[in-house]
Amino acid sequence: MSTHTAPDAVVDETSAGEPDVAPTTHHAPVPPPADGSPHDDRWRAAARATVRWTASIGAAVIIFAAFLTTQGADPVEALTAMWNAAFGDARSTGDTLLRATPLLLAALAVAVPARAGMFNIGGEGQLVMGAVGAMAMSTALDGAVSGPLVFALLALGGAAGGALWALIPAILKVALRTNEAIVSLLLNYVATIVLTWLVFEPWKDPLSTGQAYSTELPDAERLPILWANRVHIGIVVAVLAALAVWVAFRSTRWGFRLQVLGGNPEAARRAGLRVGSLAIGAMVLGGALAGLAGMLEVSGVEGRLRPGIMVGFGYIGFLASWLARHHPLKAVLASLVLAAIAVGGNGLKISAGVSGAAVNVLMALVLLAVLGWARPNKRVGAP
Amino acid sequence: MKMRTLALVAGLGALTISATACSDDSSDTGTTDGSEETTGEGGGDLTIGFLYVGPKDDFGYNQAAYEGSLAVQESFPDAEILQAENVPETADAEVVMEGMIEDGADIIFATSYGHLEFAANVAADHPDVTFVHQGGLEGEEQLDNLGTFFGTVYEPVYTAGIAAGASTESKKLGYVYAFPIPQTLANINAFTLGAQSVDPDIEVIAVSTGSWCDPGLQAQAAQSLLDQDVDVLTQHQDCTKTIIEAAEAAGAMTVGYHFDASELAPEGWLTGSEWSWGPLYSDIVQTVVDDEFVDSPYNGDFRVGLQTGENPFVQSSYGPSVTEETQALIDEARQSFIDGSSPFAGPVSNQGGDEVWAEGEQPTYEEVETMDFFVQGVIGETS
Amino acid sequence: MIEAVCVGAVAGGTSILFPTLGELITERSGVINLGTEGSMLCGALAAYIIGIETGSPWLGVVAGLVAGAGLAAVHAFLVLHRGANQIATGLVVTFLGLGLTALFGQDYVGQGVVALEPVAIPGLASLPFVGPVLFDHDPLTYLSLLAVPALWWVLVGTRAGLQLRAAGERPEVLRTFGTSPRAVRYAAVIGGGGLSGLGGAQLATAFTRNWSEGMTVGRGFVAVGLVIFAAWDPRKALVGAYLFSGAIALQLQLQAQGSDISRYLLAALPYLVVIISLASLSRRRLHAAPEALNHVFEHAS
Repeated sequence: MSTHTAPDAVVDETSAGEPDVAPTTHHAPVPPPADGSPHDDRWRAAARATVRWTASIGAAVIIFAAFLTTQGADPVEALTAMWNAAFGDARSTGDTLLRATPLLLAALAVAVPARAGMFNIGGEGQLVMGAVGAMAMSTALDGAVSGPLVFALLALGGAAGGALWALIPAILKVALRTNEAIVSLLLNYVATIVLTWLVFEPWKDPLSTGQAYSTELPDAERLPILWANRVHIGIVVAVLAALAVWVAFRSTRWGFRLQVLGGNPEAARRAGLRVGSLAIGAMVLGGALAGLAGMLEVSGVEGRLRPGIMVGFGYIGFLASWLARHHPLKAVLASLVLAAIAVGGNGLKISAGVSGAAVNVLMALVLLAVLGWARPNKRVGAP
Repeated sequence: MKMRTLALVAGLGALTISATACSDDSSDTGTTDGSEETTGEGGGDLTIGFLYVGPKDDFGYNQAAYEGSLAVQESFPDAEILQAENVPETADAEVVMEGMIEDGADIIFATSYGHLEFAANVAADHPDVTFVHQGGLEGEEQLDNLGTFFGTVYEPVYTAGIAAGASTESKKLGYVYAFPIPQTLANINAFTLGAQSVDPDIEVIAVSTGSWCDPGLQAQAAQSLLDQDVDVLTQHQDCTKTIIEAAEAAGAMTVGYHFDASELAPEGWLTGSEWSWGPLYSDIVQTVVDDEFVDSPYNGDFRVGLQTGENPFVQSSYGPSVTEETQALIDEARQSFIDGSSPFAGPVSNQGGDEVWAEGEQPTYEEVETMDFFVQGVIGETS
Repeated sequence: MIEAVCVGAVAGGTSILFPTLGELITERSGVINLGTEGSMLCGALAAYIIGIETGSPWLGVVAGLVAGAGLAAVHAFLVLHRGANQIATGLVVTFLGLGLTALFGQDYVGQGVVALEPVAIPGLASLPFVGPVLFDHDPLTYLSLLAVPALWWVLVGTRAGLQLRAAGERPEVLRTFGTSPRAVRYAAVIGGGGLSGLGGAQLATAFTRNWSEGMTVGRGFVAVGLVIFAAWDPRKALVGAYLFSGAIALQLQLQAQGSDISRYLLAALPYLVVIISLASLSRRRLHAAPEALNHVFEHAS
């Protein structure tokens, strides 16, 4: 992955929202840490990575089983129930894929800003605002458009919603140097309140007699179902987005600039990069990806807005991105693993009588194992 | 046709179970079950699934439903009961229900408001499984395997309001609630009208926390009401303990909800409203087992109150300070409901003073369940 | 009304002030810990359980402190020994706390509590305004109030404070004096987690007298934001914690008085207050940031 000469032809849709950075210099003087190594080494590294993943997940599962035992659950039975809930048959596998879809996009929403050296912990709120954006678009269209175009418009609405929500911490970061991690995190709570307001007030379905929810999307605005009765086309969209981000990272000028910025902002500035707009762009693109996930949830799964929609997806997506070390393709696998654990939690609830939130332990243990395996000697904290 | 699908489902269930050595020890044959419906191999004879939106031991709504499920277990000792706590009111609920069906569920109790839509979706796919939903309204779309049920919550809330009205000295009562949904508005209104039947000058201050269970906000909300000289506190929250403790600590009186919490408030406990779901749940199960669900009142929007039968919502025990006279007033009101009156028997006016139900009028069950206003004497906003 | 809001700010603010102070110590050493939310939950549950099982609320408080510190130790180990990313590890640690408390707490939901009762300070509690606002609370609230000047004094006037600050600003200098910055950071992260645990303990056994899954609802995250707001100064942390809690108290007081301001706007108010003050102060705050902390935020991958 060392193609730093960016062929201009490879400009994909994911960089479309990117502020124009064309007039800057061709190459930043400080090359990013190149890890282009011979093929043998790569294979060995891949093998080592596989072993590491397997061992990490294995260790996490064993510790988790021990915790379950303390709660009087039979660990084998509980883990079997989890496995079945996640992969037991076509439908379960479908549920896992369905859950992996927003997680993957939420993970990309973390990975893109991370490449530019920023923390986006606001995926949760950006997902919510994406759902809101899609719903707003649907309301504005009022059924006037149908066919593929309507999905493009809804996706645009969703992406815009997420992007706008990410724009807040991005602008505060660039203009006032406010900490984007904290602001994006706190905005999650605000987004939830905005959603509640919309669902209880302007967008309330007059037929909702219990807990309020919004009116339903018309059938023409529901995503086509691909498989297992529920898996919608969003999974394809999410994987394509991961591919596009991957390509953009490794072989576009923009991806290279982000890396320079993430590696050393001062050097990037000296090299004449427009650091501010690059940073804002990365954050906003991340928000747009999360917003797209929100749109997919509304159009593909829920069909309407309700309070508590996609609870936790943004945070789990954050974990997925770190599990993948912000590599867009590895994020696909990471999202699947975490989706399986999350969906497996349903099996845990039903069969083992253990609180579903207990799967958070397993997710955390997997992450801790993987994070803890990092090369020591990252400069921070290691004196 | 129906039988074939059934065999398929049962077979799938058996497959999963044998493939995973999932424990299923109910190989007994002595159930009361007369129909062939539940004799799938390995699926057990009668399997009943319960979904709760929160933890099953929350001293509140979910625990009440959970205890109902225990009563069902007592009535049907051979049945296998599947429990799922913390099932969100999102498409995740479908995943949980599908999982239960895979585990052989014949009847599913979806006990939270927001589960209805998902129960309806799953019910459409599984005509051989009976779904009953607690609290919702099915409306025109009638499926043969789906029904809703509920009690008339507001009857005991009204009579508890009488106890509060007879006990208050400040003539101000406090109500902590989550969201302005019809059921909550009906409760607050019934409580107010009950109190006003003792003294028309009584006011009820309603404060919303925007959450079904956020103890930190509840503590603050209780305090803000006590600061307004409120001397009786009540609530519509899922976890009820914090507010009861706060009232007791401040020397105020408490009207409970969901649960008899007299132990928590030995001094200030007046009375409360609580569920006794056991008999109704068991009767629904019996109806299904007897293969009489279709066309039974349960296969629709079943509502029961004192007017029409035995209300599953009952009044809790009295606290030490409730006088004989007050109890007589309450008995009188309850008798009037049995005789056909309603807590909302006119004249009833809204906050603006406009008459909603005139003298001699009273709302139907459906009208109560779509209530969207506060009655005169409530301080608070529905929006 | 003003008095009521102030009383609410202090009563509800304690469970935010403790984690804010804890995170402040942590960050002063050059480490950020988003696991405060998890430490709070562990502290809340441990205090609740131990209180019930032993009948002693104070043993519960100690257990809360230990549990919060224990979870933070996980963060410390991964970050300081394994070089794991601090932001990511912190969030993972919060997930761990959320899951562990859900697992071990399910038998205790709604159980009777052994509460830490409020103690009115004789004499002072009857003063107008100041009395109810400051002198009629549970012992942990007094402890948090005392912790603020104590921590400030430790930071500016003691050798331990100097070492803590050096670990955050100039670790290499610390090393030349023969003190390991890593050891100082361990102490700071674990001690900070202990304070977060105390906050959780106060929330569960004194303020709400309740345990329920995820009951901190973001208070620990808010604390991390408040540390920046406070420019790493304990005195300003006090202001921040009471500002946040006061905003909550204000919105509920307004509702109780029948105000017709949108409840949704009011509910968002506490978060908006923190975000806006972070933004408006951030340029000034930046200079106050421990040097090592700036490195953390420049390395997102």
